[in-house]
Amino acid sequence: MREMVAGLEIHVELSTASKIFCSCSTEFGAKPNTHCCPVCTGQPGALPVLNRAVVEYAIKAGLALNCEINRRTHLDRKNYFYPDLPKAYQISQYDEPLCAGGYIELKSGKRIRLKRIHIEEDAGKLIHERGYTYIDYNRGGVPLIEIVSLPDISSSAEAREFVEKLQLIMRYIGVSDCKMQEGSLRCDVNISVKDGEGPLGVHTEIKNLNSVAYMASAMDYEFRRQCEVIDAGKKVEKATLRYDVSSGETLPMRTKEDENDYRYFPEPDVPPVEIGDALVSEIEGSLPELPMVKINRYINDFGIRPQSAELICRYHKVAGFVEDAVSCGANAKNAVNMTLGTIFSTLNTEEDKENFDIKVSPAGFAALIKLYDEGKINSGAASSALMKMLETGKGVEDFIKPGDMKTLSDDELSEICRKALEENEDAVREIKNGKVKAMGAILGGVARAAKGKADMKKAEELIKKFIYE
Amino acid sequence: MKAVISKLSGMLKSGKISSSELAEKYIDAVKRDNAKYNAYVNETFDEARKSAKEADARLARGEGGPLCGMPYALKDNICTDGIETTCCSNILRGFRPYYSATVHEKLSACGAVLLGKTNMDEFAMGSTSETSCYGAPLNPRDSSRVTGGSSGGSAAAVAANLAPFALGSDTGGSIRQPACFCGVVGFKPTYGAVSRYGLIAYASSLDQIGPLASSVSDAAIVYDAIKGKDPKDMSSEEVSLSATSLSGDVKGLKIGMVKEYFDCLNPEMAARIEEVARLYEKAGAKIVSLGMPTLSRALPAYYIIACAEASSNLGRYDGIRYGVRCKNYSDADELMTRTRSEGFGKEVQKRIMLGTYVLSAGYYDAYYKKACAVRARVREEFDAVFGACDVLFAPVSPTSAFELGYAQRNVIETYQSDLYTVPVNIAGLPSISVPCGKDKKGLPIGMQIIGDRFADEKVLSAAYFLEQNEAFCEDDEEGGVAL
Amino acid sequence: MTKEDIKSLARLARLQFDDDEAERFISEMDEIIAFADAVNLEVEGDTSTVKLEGEALPYEKLRADETQPSFPNEKILSGVEGEDGYFTVKRIIK
Repeated sequence: MREMVAGLEIHVELSTASKIFCSCSTEFGAKPNTHCCPVCTGQPGALPVLNRAVVEYAIKAGLALNCEINRRTHLDRKNYFYPDLPKAYQISQYDEPLCAGGYIELKSGKRIRLKRIHIEEDAGKLIHERGYTYIDYNRGGVPLIEIVSLPDISSSAEAREFVEKLQLIMRYIGVSDCKMQEGSLRCDVNISVKDGEGPLGVHTEIKNLNSVAYMASAMDYEFRRQCEVIDAGKKVEKATLRYDVSSGETLPMRTKEDENDYRYFPEPDVPPVEIGDALVSEIEGSLPELPMVKINRYINDFGIRPQSAELICRYHKVAGFVEDAVSCGANAKNAVNMTLGTIFSTLNTEEDKENFDIKVSPAGFAALIKLYDEGKINSGAASSALMKMLETGKGVEDFIKPGDMKTLSDDELSEICRKALEENEDAVREIKNGKVKAMGAILGGVARAAKGKADMKKAEELIKKFIYE
Repeated sequence: MKAVISKLSGMLKSGKISSSELAEKYIDAVKRDNAKYNAYVNETFDEARKSAKEADARLARGEGGPLCGMPYALKDNICTDGIETTCCSNILRGFRPYYSATVHEKLSACGAVLLGKTNMDEFAMGSTSETSCYGAPLNPRDSSRVTGGSSGGSAAAVAANLAPFALGSDTGGSIRQPACFCGVVGFKPTYGAVSRYGLIAYASSLDQIGPLASSVSDAAIVYDAIKGKDPKDMSSEEVSLSATSLSGDVKGLKIGMVKEYFDCLNPEMAARIEEVARLYEKAGAKIVSLGMPTLSRALPAYYIIACAEASSNLGRYDGIRYGVRCKNYSDADELMTRTRSEGFGKEVQKRIMLGTYVLSAGYYDAYYKKACAVRARVREEFDAVFGACDVLFAPVSPTSAFELGYAQRNVIETYQSDLYTVPVNIAGLPSISVPCGKDKKGLPIGMQIIGDRFADEKVLSAAYFLEQNEAFCEDDEEGGVAL
Repeated sequence: MTKEDIKSLARLARLQFDDDEAERFISEMDEIIAFADAVNLEVEGDTSTVKLEGEALPYEKLRADETQPSFPNEKILSGVEGEDGYFTVKRIIK
């Protein structure tokens, strides 16, 4: 029985305003080399000045991932030459990382343990075009945390869940937007094969996986490849690989034998940092409710299905919106359903849902839901009013006319119900034979005829009365 | 010793001379004499005239401190906005930073007038300034000899009266030793007392900027102007000092004489320092004999740490963002490798190689880590020593100025000549090098007065006592600006 | 040290020496390393845990997360050749 044994190294860009060692902006997408200064382009004589928020965000991440926070931490230089690395060393952490230990719990209850989390600076970007290499250092010095897991992962599905949970948590605590397409979350995988009770095989490393889907396919491919190597009676060789998206294969990267001699030593320009217990408690106290806790609370308190709870909680802003609406008096279940139905139908991409930039306020949304809760409008009217509210940003009162809210009189409703019974004799027979489901056809007829003005609960009672009379 | 700054400052304040006139005097002197000493490698006369004019306007309004309108020189590893800064290395030929070192900004804000950049060992790596890509500066006291290094140009400029003061940098003695060789005062402040922002790094945990001047009081005035916490340098700290009111009172001062500093010292120098000690004793100071068993280990530890940090600090000179770029290359590695091999001089390459070696896998523990342990131990021993005394007396260099070319022929011996200066850097202490006479060859000899961390004022004050004593203050008046 | 040691060290440091230079360098390096070896003599006590020099800085004293204007692109590129706001070098990755 062969088993995949994998560990992840994940780089997460922190969403601080300024870079880790200078006051340049971290904003994505600016013109090349316009968020630069002597420090982040490695000019002679420039010195790094550590950004407090980087330490704070990393502690936040560490606490949210159940890590121990080291009370003293220092930075180290990792020396290597590459054109995107302006100082020829990356300021990182080697033997005194900010956070140690920790774990992420999967749905199955399995815990993927973490080894450490440390802070470091990002490198610049290279573009190879028209016989030239163009270098942009805007990204140079953007703060990163590197989260290193232990090799506890035994399938690509687990890896996927791990990364998605991590993304969710980072977004909840507001330390990163974790956009893989913009490179603010990047993933390396260490993977090897364990053969039954035998020893762990040699591992390979797949670098720079920039989507969860590619990561999963790369892991599956690499696992099969290593198994085939073993089947052929050969040995898996230690290698650094990249994932070729077009062929779906993992391919060796061009490396030189000395490339791993990084000659780490303590960064002399940044003194060690002392972190007080009070700070750690303060940050711990400021952490928001984490997604897994929130999902459980929604299931229990709102009485909604686990799938709905997960969908709502996948987006921090959506969950916030629903909770605000509930605290404005909306029925939680209706608020969740209307959000997942009507509002989500207008948000096409994951990013739209993530940004959740809608024109309706939680209070306005609650006002609409309340009309529905009280039976003053039916779901169709509520939904179409909500669509208009989302389009225009106006309140519910602009779309629900006093006439819409006036339900039909008892006589008018009785008349409509009788007509619907006459038109659906088959259904009436079925109901009498015990097929209660057929009620839907009759109620549909009532709704059409009433044009949204019927109190449908009352209509159902009336129909039952007429049938069994 | 002459208090040049106070004297000139008095003249400027009273209007006896204008800053513009003073600047012209120095400009003329540099034009006339620099060819003799090669002290300046880049002159900034146009900028000097402009800032002198501005200083005159301030002086006319009755504004400005003791350095307003005062000409000065900067070692060429201190960045100056728009002015070529090369570290006397071919790899930085033509490099004009677009920012200034904090010390330059502070001095400019005081109204001081920059005359130019001074010669030095390439990237401050050397004890003679002979590794400069512009050729060695010559010692104004004897032009067949070196100035010392690495701040040799700054020492020569002050000694030859081509600048009232200059800034240098000291990583293992690079202010104190050339000051000693040229017979001027050189002060290396406590690590962190002066911002390193804009100082092109040699070894970050050891580098410190400080003044070279004609007298202790001058050095104190300059130190006062450049010291203090800088938000751009995390290792900098706020320091208190009333530099302008040095007492020179040594009554009750406890002077430590550490045995290991004198063990192998040539008798002529040892006798001279003894003599100075007796002078202090007469004025009420107490002499305490002390020991520091690890002191001799400081020298190899220094070279290991300095070269390790240098190998990392000098990685950035890869031809991509500034400085010289090699002509033909086919890939990134070749671009970097050729630029660096063509641009760096031999001594720099050697130190980068040694630094790379001591940090590389398999050697880190035996060298770098061990050196850090020695460093920690030396610090502890200094802590103990300063529990028992206020300042230490120590030699600066085993010899007076070498003859030109001697160091290249005697590499290890030259490295070893740093043994008295490097412990101070290892421990981050303040130390001043003051002239204390001449040897048989008629060359200046000096001594160090070393203090505990942030006891800079104590050091300056103790040294000030010496310069008030006639017997140790022979002036060498020749060339430059006559005062 | 062998010539190969010198060359692989040089590669790490992005320096190059031809055979003759490397040969000459061996003795110089050996001499320097022998000198550096003195660090290993007679140091008493435990040296296994090396802490950074100096006091640790309390977190509160670190720089606040505020942006300041960056330098103009022309200044950033003033040191070498550039194009369209980028640093440029002849294509360097094959």
